[in-house]
Amino acid sequence: MTHEEARARLSALLDGALPDREAVQVEAHLEGCSSCREELAQLRTTVTLLQEVEPMKAPEGFSAEVRRRIERLAQATQHSPWTRLRAALSWRSWSWRTVTAAAAVVMVGVFAVNLLREAGVPGGATRVRMPELALDVSKVGEGARTLAQAVPPSAGPGEPVSMRRVIRTGQMAIEVERFDAAASRLFAIAEGAGGFVADSSFSDEDGVPRGTFVLRVPAARFSEVVAQVEKLGTVKRRQISGQDVTEEFIDLEARVRNLARQEARLLALMDRATKIPDLLAIEGEVARVRGEIERLTGRLRFLANKVDLATVQAEVSQKPKKSEGALWDFKQTLERVRTAFLNTVRQMLGAAESLVALAAALLPVALLGALAWWLLRRGFRRADRIP
Amino acid sequence: MTFDERDLISRSRSGEIEAFDLLVRLHQDRIYNLAYRITGNREDASDAAQDAFVRAYQALPRYREDAAFSTWLHRIATNAALDLVRRRPASTHGELHPEVPAGDNLEAVVDRREITRRVHAALGHLTVEYRTAVVLRDLQGLAYGEIARILQVPLGTVRSRLARGREAMRAQLTDLVSAEG
Repeated sequence: MTHEEARARLSALLDGALPDREAVQVEAHLEGCSSCREELAQLRTTVTLLQEVEPMKAPEGFSAEVRRRIERLAQATQHSPWTRLRAALSWRSWSWRTVTAAAAVVMVGVFAVNLLREAGVPGGATRVRMPELALDVSKVGEGARTLAQAVPPSAGPGEPVSMRRVIRTGQMAIEVERFDAAASRLFAIAEGAGGFVADSSFSDEDGVPRGTFVLRVPAARFSEVVAQVEKLGTVKRRQISGQDVTEEFIDLEARVRNLARQEARLLALMDRATKIPDLLAIEGEVARVRGEIERLTGRLRFLANKVDLATVQAEVSQKPKKSEGALWDFKQTLERVRTAFLNTVRQMLGAAESLVALAAALLPVALLGALAWWLLRRGFRRADRIP
Repeated sequence: MTFDERDLISRSRSGEIEAFDLLVRLHQDRIYNLAYRITGNREDASDAAQDAFVRAYQALPRYREDAAFSTWLHRIATNAALDLVRRRPASTHGELHPEVPAGDNLEAVVDRREITRRVHAALGHLTVEYRTAVVLRDLQGLAYGEIARILQVPLGTVRSRLARGREAMRAQLTDLVSAEG
């Protein structure tokens, strides 16, 4: 160790703040260097002098002034909405007991709702109904129309919907409390709508009566009838379809018009024909054209009938009777509890999954926010960093 | 009167200003001394020390108890004082280096008051960095490790700043040193 290196370490040596190895080397240098010994002595005296400096008292009213400044600061921040929001959101203000209690209340609530649903208390029926089954009458009509419009349009887009010719068909399976009542209601519905029951079949297997009814009702009242039928009981299945036959209609009508003109020309020709073979040939042609016209108008009538009268096919079955007589069906209760429990668990898992997904979705935003927050805070905090 | 500092700290954290007031009274002299020795005048010292306590109150939720409360305060106060010194570089250490009256006799010089006056004056001649190191170590009595944390510099830097600072002090106080030695 050189003289300069040793000299630079004298101060630390004085405090015993040198690593052992260096301390030994400096001591060794001191043995042979009187100027360093002198320097060390003077440093020691200097430090002693410094330590003798009289401490001062903080000025009068110092702590009162600090307190006044803090109180003024607290007042300024207390009223800012930002501070209040932060206080409300602060984890410190939420004791663990509060959080746990809130979570417990939510879980008990979810479980209770599930249990009630299982027990068939109001709300039970709506659970079985699929969401789209709860659609109101106008919506059903719209659905059919939408379907109809999905079929490639033949006319221009400007053509009014009322000009469209759509065959509407509805199929549904319904579970009712009493089969007999439902069947007579179906007839009443069909007649009330100005239609009829075109077909009905009935069976009674295992004491569970069921039957199929085909209702034909004016197309304009289709939606209304569907809604009425669905009110009979619980809808198990349902299919509404609309077949757009506008194009076929226009095509058929055009062809019938052409054939009619052709027939008229042939008849005129026949009047002027003089030779028997010609007459026979024309007559044969007239017959063919007429037959074609008949066939096409038949098809047109069939289509018109289908379009004018919508078809509603209802498969009606009676709800299986619950076991009667026993005071309390323990197995059923157990089953309900089990289902309710599983539903709660499923919903909680679903909620957890949603939360994870939400967190993942918010992560980039949160990172950006945190970065901005950090940058903002850094400026303020510079001076009072925590050791 | 004995105070459990930890208790006072946790009560201050929950917004009890009485508790913090007690903490201020417990530490105000040491912190004021620190500020005075760095800034070199009473007005700045008072401002810096007050700033330090206000900042400490605000930063209290972030105070982790792995460092002594007094060390933590020292860090905040050192920063507050250095802020002031840097903001007002023109402010002279008027009070710190009064002219040594000519023909002073040694008995008077050795008087403790006089030593204090001379040391304060000598400090004014040091650069801020050296002065801060000397003040923290020899006047406030902090350990090297604490100083390193307060100044956010490595131990080696503390050693060298202190060595240079003390050397400068020795040069300023030569007459006293030879009189004492």
